[in-house]
Amino acid sequence: MATSSSAGRVLSLCKQFQNVVRISSAVNTQSCSPALTKLPPRQYREKSPLAALSWRSPSSSVAPCRALHTTISRRGLDEFFDLPENWGETTVKSGAPWTAKQLRTKSNEDLHKLWYVLLKEKNLLLTLEQEAKRQRVPMSSPERIRKVERSMIRLETVVNERESALRMLQTGQEKARPGAWRRDKFGHVYWYRFKEYAIPWYMNRRYKRKSFFTPKFVQPHIRLRLEKYLRQRARKTSLERRTQSKLKEKFPHANISAS
Amino acid sequence: ITSRYPLYQLGNPQLRIFRPNWFLTLVRPGKEQPPDTVQFRIPMEMTKYDVKNYLEKIYDVPVGAIRTRIQFGSNKKRNHLHQKVKQPDYKVAYVQLAQGQTFTFPDIFPEKELKHEEGSMEEMQEKFMEDEKQRQRLDPRRGGVTEWFGL
Repeated sequence: MATSSSAGRVLSLCKQFQNVVRISSAVNTQSCSPALTKLPPRQYREKSPLAALSWRSPSSSVAPCRALHTTISRRGLDEFFDLPENWGETTVKSGAPWTAKQLRTKSNEDLHKLWYVLLKEKNLLLTLEQEAKRQRVPMSSPERIRKVERSMIRLETVVNERESALRMLQTGQEKARPGAWRRDKFGHVYWYRFKEYAIPWYMNRRYKRKSFFTPKFVQPHIRLRLEKYLRQRARKTSLERRTQSKLKEKFPHANISAS
Repeated sequence: ITSRYPLYQLGNPQLRIFRPNWFLTLVRPGKEQPPDTVQFRIPMEMTKYDVKNYLEKIYDVPVGAIRTRIQFGSNKKRNHLHQKVKQPDYKVAYVQLAQGQTFTFPDIFPEKELKHEEGSMEEMQEKFMEDEKQRQRLDPRRGGVTEWFGL
């Protein structure tokens, strides 16, 4: 496992990728959609973003891996459409979405490039969906859109985690957007997030109409609501206890479920 | 994106947006458009300059003129509860490509010969239907004429 250079690191990142890089000449013969388990869409077609990093260190000192240069594919508006072999197919194979655990292993540059790969894939799928609706034909494998959406959401969470950690270390602030704990008219305490305005709050008429306090006549309602909540919680625990005791009575030798 | 981008006032620098959350849908034009025009459905928050930068930076497509309009989604249809159902509004962008490029919307759903795998249920069904049709067909020696009359 060559870990001293970026090229080696890149190629050893995932096993599938090593296979893909070796059979780079046989790329065009396959017609299935290339997002095969863990690889982002069209990964083996364009061999980017992970492979493109390797051109920076052509004279790497690591023997087993050769420096690899790949060109970015520039197809302009054709990137809104799938490969021509997949036009008219009812099902197009695609791999699993990226998980947050996998994304956390990637560098920031990789995540940035992956975001754009996913963005372009989502645009492609949306155009396909719209055209399918237009032609009154079922869209081929619509679950791809959900997969891409989930991958993007997880990417966003990973990036936010990193940003938040950095902010905590540098400034000591937990949240990027300032806010405060406030009460609303019904007695609920919630985190109110501040919004950016061009004028101060005392000149903002709509903001002044909002009241962040609980009037005194709402106190009985709050008490009743609290009682209801406690009653429901008590009912739930007593029901659980009752079912457990009944089961114990019926099946005395059964082991207790871990619930 | 509007939540991430800070409030703009005159004189502020134009900030970059990393990892934009906007998705463009290329659509087939309903009416006949000039050959260099591409029609997109874009999110309501995007502007002409946003679309121009998006296409130029992400897709490397040279953009000339660009015009946008907002399509009102109908609120006329009613469901089984007689409630009005709103079709979502969307913004349409007509992008004219620079450098004399042209674009025609391709046919993405061509008619394909459906070949079933050997020994599958569908293949047997297809064969059965073929045999039935063959039996129903009239005698080719009589030239397709029915057997109601004649010898």
